[in-house]
Order: sequence, then structure tokens, then C-alpha cells
Amino acid sequence: MPVITINGVIGSGTLEIGHLVAQNLGINYVDRYIFAEAARLVGSPVSRLIEKEQRVIPFRERVARFMQTVLERSAVAGAGAEPYFGRGVEMLPAEAYTELVSDAASSSAVHDRAFIDATTSVIKELAAGGDVVIIGRGSNMILADAPGVVHIGLLAPLAVRIDTMAKREMFTPDEARAYAEELENARLTFYRKFFRVNANDPTRFHLMLNIGRISQSTAAEIIAHAAADIAGAPAN
Amino acid sequence: MFPRVSLTSDISRADVARIRDWLRDPEISALWYGTDDADGHALHIGYAPERICDADADEWQQVFNQDERRIFSIYATDEDHIGEGQLLVEWPLEEAQLFILIGRKDLWHHHYGTAALIALLDEAFDGLELHRVWVDVPEYNEHALQMFRHLGFVLEGHLRRTHRKDGNWYDSFAMGLLTDEYARRRSRVLAQYST
Repeated sequence: MPVITINGVIGSGTLEIGHLVAQNLGINYVDRYIFAEAARLVGSPVSRLIEKEQRVIPFRERVARFMQTVLERSAVAGAGAEPYFGRGVEMLPAEAYTELVSDAASSSAVHDRAFIDATTSVIKELAAGGDVVIIGRGSNMILADAPGVVHIGLLAPLAVRIDTMAKREMFTPDEARAYAEELENARLTFYRKFFRVNANDPTRFHLMLNIGRISQSTAAEIIAHAAADIAGAPAN
Repeated sequence: MFPRVSLTSDISRADVARIRDWLRDPEISALWYGTDDADGHALHIGYAPERICDADADEWQQVFNQDERRIFSIYATDEDHIGEGQLLVEWPLEEAQLFILIGRKDLWHHHYGTAALIALLDEAFDGLELHRVWVDVPEYNEHALQMFRHLGFVLEGHLRRTHRKDGNWYDSFAMGLLTDEYARRRSRVLAQYST
């Protein structure tokens, strides 16, 4: 009943390698399916959950949203205000300031607690069922203490990551680079925020592989053998 | 030449009769949902084509005018009626499961499926303003897997032995596409066909 988590820098090939491992071992493979299931638990669109993981709201955008909130609330508050700018900032309710330093930028945003609870619940249920490769979503942290679960980390040089993203997303190299960097920044933030760790800390994994030095198929074979060794799973 | 297709939710009895006839072809039903163990009729999604053709007006309205299940006949400008698409919407989650059947075998591998898929995705993301569309593709439908992948669908899960057809179990590929992913992908895919 091997349970393997694979987490890695954006563009290192976690999806492709994870699927190869699952095929080699004849077990399930789950990636964004985790968020699709978690979305059902919290009753909120999956994109709002993905936003938690993949989107860093730039400071300028936070300020813009903050000012938008100011204007909207002023418009609702109405009386005694300037036609466009409404009440002064000093009159804003306290929670608006909180929004500036958090990502709960809209009333429809999923709360962090509900998000991480639902994600944890789905990942633990998948692991309990066994025979699964779980991609990303902090699965190595959520299952850090689960017995028999093998945690794999992947690294790759920027050139390899750009190539992977360009092929996967039909991007030009420049677009692929910008996209990979944006998502990686978001991934690091996600780990810091929800688990208070460095996403690429090697002590969080049983095994780390540099995909710049070995092929994806070799990596998949190594992972399958490691799973057999560590978790007692049969290797094909 | 990339085909031009359109969707209509005004489903005629003639359309459904053609769906029934197409599904009587074992080659088509084998790539779809197989046949019912009990009566040997081809299985379909949302309604039973062999029976619904004779339904009264009330039942017809119930099947083809649902808020959650949007059924569309697919028409090609040069080939008339060619298939059917469905969007099974979960409004609280702002998402839909998509189904697409091109019944005209002679048009397979001529991009009619891709054109119809783009029309359905336009309807889902622009018309219904959904956030996610997903499909559950059985392993034996390689061409469908390739088509969805080409349109940017991401493999969200590969689940073993979850799809039952004709007494056998098959793997299932859950693939999803988000509205912003589609926005990025759509023009690039169409550009490929215009060159």
C-alpha cells in the first residue's frame, strides 16, 4: 500500500514524474483533484482554494484592493462624505486594515482555517486508502508523521524548469520563466504561511532528486524503488 | 481548415433520434459508456435515447430544460447535426462536468471535436461564468484524452479501476480546466489551426 508524496520547485516535473511513478507501481495519482474534493467540503469554488496556493497578491494590488474597499464602504456609509472619497481612512472599521495585511481580500474568500482543514482532511483520507501518489499541496507536511508514507522532493535548474513550463503551457521561454517564478514564489509563501517551513528544506523529505541531472523516467524508477525500500511496497 | 460549429439548447426529437442511432453503432458506444447489461441498449448520460424519443411533452421538458444539466446539440455549418454536448453544473461550486459526443464517425479526427469542445467551453466560461470545467475520461478513449490535454486540461487525478463498462473495470482520468487557464490557452490553440 505505498503512499508517496512528491513536492518540488515549479517546473521540476512533479506532475510528469508523479504520474510515471503511479503507472510504474499501478497505483492512483492525485494532483489538483485534492482541491476539487476540498472545494466540495467547504462548498466553495475550487479556484478560490487554488488562489490560496498559487497566488501571491502583490503589495500594490493589496493597496488597490484596500482603497477599493475604502471607496465601497464609504459609498455605503454615505452621509457627510465627499462625493468620491467618502469618509476619511481614519473612519474605517478595523477589519479593513486587517485585510491589507492578509489575503482575505473579498467577502467571498475562503478562510484560511477552512481551507487548510479541508485540504488536510482530503489528503489524510487519500493516504488512509493507500496506493496513491499525492502531488504537492503541502502533502509532505500534512503527512509528516504518518507511518510508511514516503516523501520525495524535486529540484531542477531554471533552464529545465522553463523548458517544462513552456511545453506544458504553450508559453514562450520568457513567459514560461515569469510564470514559473510567480508560481514558485507563491509556493514558498504557501509553505511559510501554513506550515512555517521552507518548502525546499531537504530534512522534510526522505529523498531529494535533481531533475537537471537525471531523466524523468530514471527519477520515477528511483522513487518506486525507494518506496519499496522505505514503505515495504513491491517495486515493479 | 478549422471547422465552424454552433450549439443549440433547442433539442429536437430528430436530434435525439440521431443520437440513438449513432449509439447503436458498437464502435461509438464502445468509446462512450458501453451497453446496459440488462437490455443491451447503449448507455448515455442524462437520458435514455432509446426511450426518450417517445416521451410526452412534460418528460421532454424535464430532461432538456434543466438548470443543472445543460444539453446542447452540436451543429457544424457545413455538416448539419454532428453530436451532443452536456454541462452538468454545480452552481455552488461554480463548476461543471463536461460531456461531448461526436456521433458522425466520418468526421472523427477532423477537428470537429476540438471545435465543439471550444464552443462548449465558451458557453461554460463566458455564458455561464463558471470557474472550472472538468471531465472524467476512461483510459480506453485515447483520442479524447489527447484532445482535452491539447485544450489545456490538467490531469488532476488518475484513479485506478473506477470506470465500469461492459462488465470490466477501467482506469479513469479526471482532468480539469480553470477559467484563467482557458483564457490563456484558447487563442494559442486557435492560432495553431489558422496557420
